[in-house]
Amino acid sequence: MPEIPGGFGSFVPGDPRTREPWHVNQQTILRAGILGAIAIALFVTLIVRLWALQIISGNEYLRIAQDNQVRTVRLQAPRGSIVDIKNRVLVKNRLTHEVRVWYAELPGKGDRPTRHDVLKKLAGVLNVRPKRLYREVDARKVDPLNPVVVKADVNHWQSDYILERSDQFPGVEVASHYVRDYPQGWLAAQTLGYVGSATEQEIKNNPSIKPGDLVGQSGVEAAFDDYLRGTPGVASQRIDSQGRPRSELVANPEPQPGDTVQLTIDADLQSVAQKALKDGIQIAKNSCASCWNANGGAIVALNPNDGSVLALASYPSYSPAVYAGHVTNRKLARWGLTASSGLADNYPGLNRATMGLYPPGSTFKPVTAIAAIQSGVLDPEANLHCTGKLIDHGTRFDNWDPNANSWINLPTALALSCDTYFYQLGQRIWGLPKINGEPIQKWAKIFGLGKHTGIEIGDYAGLVPTKKWQRRHYKAPEDRTWKPGDSINLSIGQKDLQVTPLQMARLYGGIATGKLVTPHLLASVQRDKRTIKLGISKAPEAIAPGSDFSQKLNIIRTGLFMATHDTIGTSSAVFGSFPIPIAGKTGTAEKYSNQYQRNFNQAWWCGYGPTDKPELVVCAVIENGGHGGTAAAPAALEVFRQFFHKSNTYTLPTQTD
Amino acid sequence: MLESARPLGTPLAKTRELPLAIILRQVDWLLVIGIAALVGYGLWAVAGVTGHEVPGQPHYYLAKQELYAGVGAVMLLLAAAFHPDLYRRYWRALYVVAILTLLLVPLLGVAKRGSRRWLQIGSFQFQPSEFAKVLVVLALAGFLAERGRALRDRSTVIGVLILVAIPTALVFMQPDFGTALVYAAVTAAVLLIAGTRWLHLGTLVAATLIGAALLVWILPALGVQVLRPYQTQRLTGFIHPSFDPNHATYNVAQSKVALGAGGLHGRGTIGSTQTVLGFLPENHTDFIFAAIGEEHGFVGTSILLALYLFVVWRGLRALAGAGDGYGAVVIGGIVATMVFQVFVNVGMTMGIAPITGIPLPLVSVGGSSLIANLAALGVLIGVQMRGEGARGRLR
Repeated sequence: MPEIPGGFGSFVPGDPRTREPWHVNQQTILRAGILGAIAIALFVTLIVRLWALQIISGNEYLRIAQDNQVRTVRLQAPRGSIVDIKNRVLVKNRLTHEVRVWYAELPGKGDRPTRHDVLKKLAGVLNVRPKRLYREVDARKVDPLNPVVVKADVNHWQSDYILERSDQFPGVEVASHYVRDYPQGWLAAQTLGYVGSATEQEIKNNPSIKPGDLVGQSGVEAAFDDYLRGTPGVASQRIDSQGRPRSELVANPEPQPGDTVQLTIDADLQSVAQKALKDGIQIAKNSCASCWNANGGAIVALNPNDGSVLALASYPSYSPAVYAGHVTNRKLARWGLTASSGLADNYPGLNRATMGLYPPGSTFKPVTAIAAIQSGVLDPEANLHCTGKLIDHGTRFDNWDPNANSWINLPTALALSCDTYFYQLGQRIWGLPKINGEPIQKWAKIFGLGKHTGIEIGDYAGLVPTKKWQRRHYKAPEDRTWKPGDSINLSIGQKDLQVTPLQMARLYGGIATGKLVTPHLLASVQRDKRTIKLGISKAPEAIAPGSDFSQKLNIIRTGLFMATHDTIGTSSAVFGSFPIPIAGKTGTAEKYSNQYQRNFNQAWWCGYGPTDKPELVVCAVIENGGHGGTAAAPAALEVFRQFFHKSNTYTLPTQTD
Repeated sequence: MLESARPLGTPLAKTRELPLAIILRQVDWLLVIGIAALVGYGLWAVAGVTGHEVPGQPHYYLAKQELYAGVGAVMLLLAAAFHPDLYRRYWRALYVVAILTLLLVPLLGVAKRGSRRWLQIGSFQFQPSEFAKVLVVLALAGFLAERGRALRDRSTVIGVLILVAIPTALVFMQPDFGTALVYAAVTAAVLLIAGTRWLHLGTLVAATLIGAALLVWILPALGVQVLRPYQTQRLTGFIHPSFDPNHATYNVAQSKVALGAGGLHGRGTIGSTQTVLGFLPENHTDFIFAAIGEEHGFVGTSILLALYLFVVWRGLRALAGAGDGYGAVVIGGIVATMVFQVFVNVGMTMGIAPITGIPLPLVSVGGSSLIANLAALGVLIGVQMRGEGARGRLR
């Protein structure tokens, strides 16, 4: 039957442009076959690939999938405690709770209770303004992987309330962590230092420190950070792709708590030193008309035999607890602990015992004396004329006592603290031939000035001015050359000489024993009550060899003893009646105050006792007011009283060196 | 015969429908069962994949998808009920509808994640480019039927290319590169079945390859950016997967992990962490195959691929039995659409095909895709049940 357009031969009716119906022919079948072949090829490709993925590499991908949803969290290790020499706790840890909000977990649109309800209720529990809470939470909505800490250090009642009603607080979490705790309050704040989140530099330098770790930033916390820090643990937790936890944290390994660091500090002595310093400043303020500005100071108590530091007091101070937990710049500024707020509070963060730089004044005279003896310009037994003033090249140099007029030997000169006596030594040393070098500077350095003492918490080196230094430091030609006046000023520890109280304590320890110690704070490191390391026990170094030298030191010691016991002595009023024989030297140094554009007295007292077998060196300095004998000596006495458990009565002299 | 009395060439001659009983007896029930199995498998898979997606509403996506499947079934029946001749005669109208809806998208469309592909009708969003897939097949077949004598002419090929270029350009601008690729594949299949000369076909394939190279490598190297950088990266990411500065292939990496982790038997609907914990993105739409792979393993995925292949086989069988060139071209186009989409989608989840937003036909969650695919299969069945066999029965 012929095919008719539009007929049943094709279900397509005739088309005007199609002469004959468009039939499926052999060619079409062939092409359909090609299409089928392509389809089969593609499906075979898929199946083969699927086989490779699911069957051949299945286990490998399964492992990746399992790792995919595990987040590892560093578990903060409890930081080691810091204890004093008698194992009294100075710093420990306290568990605190902070409330965090996970933005992604908060109720979404249309949920009951609403996000607003939850936050409002939370604000009520935490006693913060709801508006502040909304703002803080909203500000962090772009970062769903990290929670917003809405309040640090919440109390037990608050954390329990939230934990017990966790269903009412979706997205709210209470996290616990350790913060530093200071049971002794303000004790040794600058020496103990503080901890803070690791800085970029610290993370770069130490591969075991990771962002967010707490690292000691200053003082003992920084110096012994390696012991204190402990080893963080690792905990794993299953999370979803949004980072939300889906299981409990499982710790492996557990964090290793930090070691206990035992310091050579004696908490009782430290406490007394701090109080004595405060009292001394008060005494200084009241002691004279121009002493109103006495506003800071430091006391160092050192064992002259092994260098262990028993007390490092610095005033003004602060409560170290301000650095615990959530630290804000505003909080620190209130305590004068930021760069901009420091001046108004006279820099409480500065550890003046190790980093306060002062001219030593008359406390430096023993060094001048040794230098003069050793360079052969002084016979310690010979008498020099102590006068009220000395004129050198037309410049007048005053004695602190303008009425002085007597011929005295070295011990008496030290006892009286006769400035003109030492001016003459300065003159003589200046007049030495060049081959002799710079004896005062040389001996100052031998006694440890102008360089770091080696104490673990770090200190300033100070400055011993030399001719070379003077040439480099000053611009004006008349200032750049070393003149007789420079030697004269240096002979009584004035002008450019800068020392720290710790350096001076070490120096006086050197006079007391003939040996220079390395001051140190670390007594031992303990782990699980066992000592794993002892503090540095560098043997004290002899200052100069030979019995000849120790005889010369004896003359100095005699002078220092006369200063505290002879009727003419500058601090005998204070120390004369103390049952333990103490020897020491006052000093009243002038230091220029940038703030007030004038000189202020820096009151010093440095000494040691008992004189026959020295056990303790104390150096006290009071800034910007007072005299050595009236302000610093009584403060130092307090420390000796506590150390020897002895007391005495005395009346303060009116004005001394 | 009465028909022969009808004047030749009446453009709108009434189509004669075959008796219903014959048509129904002729329906390829295996094809229908295959399609139903695919849809059923899709619903089962969606239930497993999306059970945890919306907290408290385990059937949120399943219920939607069931509704779409219902609408799709109605569309399938409707599409099959219309005589294919209607599609042939009114191909221009169908073409215009496709172009118009695609044109409306940039004007009124709803944008999601940087592309504007959807039209909002009430609370319902639909994606014209999905429906345009089948409309383009019908339009091209209609155009070819009109030029039944000139199929081997170059002008016919050029006409087809012009016809397909307009919707392709429109979806390309959405931007929906994947659908544009589908149109290109469909064109190739339609020309193949229609009997275009091998020379023309070969030229076209070569031109496409050169064009792709230009688009992806040569023009950017010369400083002309036709594709956005992320598009280039998605297209070429599967060639060098480790080069991924913008995480363009993050999805694929996670998808491969999901598939691989599924292993032979799968990790179940609860233990499939990639899917359940949200590491696998788009786990119920573009990457549902990977989710199925993770939950049901190689067993599940190979059954799914086998179902597709089964439907393709029955489709090609219907092509051979269409008896009529127009019907054959329509079936070829629809089958090719399906094969191409399955390959590109599944290949993407395994990292052997470019990353394009092509859904997995009949399985991915999404109303437009499911309904449009079922409608297309309705057209296929409509042609099949009126094919040679039916006419043979009548005779």
